[in-house]
Amino acid sequence: MSRLNRGIGSLLMDYAVPLIFIVISAAAIPLSGFSAAYLVQELLIRVGRNSFLILSLLIPIMAGMGLNFGMVLGAMAGQIGLIFVSDWSIVGIPGIVLAMIVGTPFAVVLGVLCGEVLNRARGQEMVTSYILGFFINGVYQLLVLYFMGWLIPISNPALVLSRGYGIRNAISLTGIRMVLDRLVPLKIGTISVPVATYLVIAAFCFFIVWFRRTKLGQDMRAIGQDMPVADSAGIPVNRTRVIAIVISTVLACYGQIIFLQNMGTLNTYNSHDQAGMFSIAALLIGGASVSRAGIGNVFLGVTLFHLMFIVAPMAGKNLMGQAQIGEYFRVFVSYGIIAIALVLHAWKRFRDRMEARRSLRGPAERREGA
Amino acid sequence: MRRLLRSLLLALVIALATWLVYIGREHQVFLDNKTIEAGGQSFRALKFVKISVNGGEPIELMPRDRDLALVVGPAFKIRVEVMDEWGEEVEKTIDRKLTPGFSRDMMLSMPLLAAEREDWILPSPTAQQTAAAANEAPPAELPSAATEPLSPEGAPPPANP
Repeated sequence: MSRLNRGIGSLLMDYAVPLIFIVISAAAIPLSGFSAAYLVQELLIRVGRNSFLILSLLIPIMAGMGLNFGMVLGAMAGQIGLIFVSDWSIVGIPGIVLAMIVGTPFAVVLGVLCGEVLNRARGQEMVTSYILGFFINGVYQLLVLYFMGWLIPISNPALVLSRGYGIRNAISLTGIRMVLDRLVPLKIGTISVPVATYLVIAAFCFFIVWFRRTKLGQDMRAIGQDMPVADSAGIPVNRTRVIAIVISTVLACYGQIIFLQNMGTLNTYNSHDQAGMFSIAALLIGGASVSRAGIGNVFLGVTLFHLMFIVAPMAGKNLMGQAQIGEYFRVFVSYGIIAIALVLHAWKRFRDRMEARRSLRGPAERREGA
Repeated sequence: MRRLLRSLLLALVIALATWLVYIGREHQVFLDNKTIEAGGQSFRALKFVKISVNGGEPIELMPRDRDLALVVGPAFKIRVEVMDEWGEEVEKTIDRKLTPGFSRDMMLSMPLLAAEREDWILPSPTAQQTAAAANEAPPAELPSAATEPLSPEGAPPPANP
């Protein structure tokens, strides 16, 4: 009986975060008063917009590097690609593909840098990558605010600040706005489905499934389970970890481009800021942890996270008379959930370690202890 | 062998990027119906002209009008219908295919096209302004604007924030 209780307790603990979100959303949906069609449409757009970014977090988790807060580096690389493509007036799907091609070398260089730094900060990968994001943000701002238009030629006056150098705060991406989402038009009733975006996301999911079975994927899993054992087995641990971060950064670069083509506007100095935090929050809400995450967690998380985004302000308005309260509640819960997930993970690890230690003591000692 | 493959891959990516620039570039095509001097002659603005780019909705221009059409890709077609001054009868129809390729913007002079001259494709107004500004720049030995009093009080204008 106690084993059953422990099993239920463990299950509840594993899925505490998604359960909290499901309960809150279930209460907020009727309060918001939104129709089902509206909610489905909004969710389809938002899930398509964000899933690629969140999927890019899976590979570093597989390699035991935790949640890659350094994915903002990839987002910055993607934005650099988009700035150049806007300057060269390349529109449509060629514009998106070219932005990805231009962003890739930046993402690779930043990924190698991030991977090398994280190899020197083993055990503190998350906080290191978080702070590294701030550092590279400074370099990005130097590049975009001072070098572009001065050292790096930018010929489109609509992009450059009136002083003659530096990129404007907001860039309109009208040439590539929703081109991927509208590439394969499909309308079911009043709901339009961004088929091409979902096909790209599906291809990415297949890539992850395939990648896990490759030699490199197996090496990453081995490193994620036990780094010293993987090292003893002859797996090049440092190199594999750098590759994991490079793949994640490059995919985050592509994810940011997909995200911004849907938004249609690039906030040069802030679009990347929240990319990491939002993606990590969504993944954790989906029931993932620092050491375990799957494709299912991504889709559950992004759906629940955005459901909260959509319904909370209106529910707050209908309940309290002020949308601001709902919005405050959403922000509070969304970021609080990161803290809860990290605390739960730390607590669970501590509990597992205690249990492992207890099991090593043997039955006689356990009886003595009792 | 590995290096060769990598070089080949890099060349392939560069080729792909170049092709994307070629097929995906958006060109600003200015359609200009102003009186223009060319080859020592003056060509008067057309009374009324309808211009269709890539078979799209016709753009109507009166004398001294200028409009903008956006086209994507390395080539586009243009149909110009020169109308009588009442806009009822087509006096002349001209079809042309233009291939801007990698170049960015251009201006098409309707009076020159109607006269069937070769120089009807002009640089864009932005390019013309840049060229004019470069020609009008003061020589280096003259005192620069910053050293001269720029306002009655002698204070330079405030810098952009």
